[in-house]
Amino acid sequence: MSMIRVEKLSKSFGSLQVLKEVDLTVEKGERIVIIGGSGCGKSVFLRCMDLLETPDEGTVFIGDNELTSPKADLNRIRRKVGMVYQGFHLFSNMNVLDNITLAPIKLLGLPRAEAEKKAETLLEMVGLLSKKYMMPDVLSGGQKQRIAIVRCLAMEPDIMLFDEPTSALDPTMVGEVLATLRLLAKQGMTMVIVTHEMAFAREIATRILYFDEQGIYEEGTPQEIFDAPKKKKTRDFIHKMKYFFWQIDDRNFDLMQLQGNIRSFAGKYGMDEKRTNRLQLCTEELIYEMLEHGQPDVGVDMQIQISFDERDGCAVIGLRSRGAQYNPFEADTEDEIHLGVTILKNTAKRLDYWFDGVNNELEIEL
Amino acid sequence: MNIQKTVNGTTLTVKLEGRLDTTTSPKLEEELRGSVGGMTCLVMDFEKLEYISSAGLRVLLAMQKIMNRQGEMRIKNVSETVMEVFEITGFSDILTIE
Repeated sequence: MSMIRVEKLSKSFGSLQVLKEVDLTVEKGERIVIIGGSGCGKSVFLRCMDLLETPDEGTVFIGDNELTSPKADLNRIRRKVGMVYQGFHLFSNMNVLDNITLAPIKLLGLPRAEAEKKAETLLEMVGLLSKKYMMPDVLSGGQKQRIAIVRCLAMEPDIMLFDEPTSALDPTMVGEVLATLRLLAKQGMTMVIVTHEMAFAREIATRILYFDEQGIYEEGTPQEIFDAPKKKKTRDFIHKMKYFFWQIDDRNFDLMQLQGNIRSFAGKYGMDEKRTNRLQLCTEELIYEMLEHGQPDVGVDMQIQISFDERDGCAVIGLRSRGAQYNPFEADTEDEIHLGVTILKNTAKRLDYWFDGVNNELEIEL
Repeated sequence: MNIQKTVNGTTLTVKLEGRLDTTTSPKLEEELRGSVGGMTCLVMDFEKLEYISSAGLRVLLAMQKIMNRQGEMRIKNVSETVMEVFEITGFSDILTIE
């Protein structure tokens, strides 16, 4: 049985038809990422899936239950679906714990103690247990969004919908929210995510939907959509994102060759000398920090991915390194051994680290 | 990277050309350690140095420590690119830059 089934869904605003007869089936465990230009209807579609927007035509099933039926018990069916918005939507007059426990107590009838225990477990999972008695207003945007995610999880949804969950955040806070989504992915949560974070989409999605021309214009695996889009508009959209890949499997790899290729990549897409230099510098520092401190006794298996978004000039360096857990961003930068980390911390807009049990994953945004 | 050394009395001038990174830094360190004996002044000319990473900075720091004991070290003709790295690491406060 599918988790969500959308059939022939159409939606207009006045004379503007945004969605026309869109079909989608979401199976358990799928992570669907919806991408597309502004105004292509991707957020409207997501909101229609939870009936936050009323479709003009078409049906939406959550499991076996038709959400669009006039007889549908919306509140009961919607409990299976968690929705995370751009703007957090936390209750500002309640502390974090009350925000999270309100719905489980009121809607699921959970005893307060049980709801609080569950909330604390979830807060611990996203690293925010220490904030449980705080009011939302004193939290950062990234923390608020993680709380909003926890609030959804407290209702034990079968599927979670994310409507541009990082768009309202300061760039320095995007990473912590994406890390939370990665955690959910790892736990097997079924998710539909609307996002502009292309590198993240590529990494996390099991299926990508590219929206254009009032619906799903093209769909496929991340490799199909990002590396070999078949249709013209997808190609035009995707090709605004540029990628560079490099594999390192020897400690004595050819740094000069790598740097030369990064320079060519940067030059091809019009990056100036300063940005090119920073890209090379941060790549070198990331690699050697991991080679020298992260993999003392194991073979080298490291992948570098640089993504460059031509639309906003954003460059992101990603490094995946197989080996024991090592977070260089927590290294003591007082000593000269970790000078590279000092350079990274003072150059990057955003630094992220996570460990998936096998690989260290690092990402920095310039 | 190209390293050009000139000795004038007890002053050693080293001109660097190219990139001072993890691959090239060991060579520079070896050259400098083998040449600074008896010198009271080490001048590093960075006019043609295009790039420096933390590996290069460590060499500079090591040489600075040596020269503190026997004289002085000066760095001249630093490009904007290299200066940016000095600034973000605080090296611009440690080194004598002309």
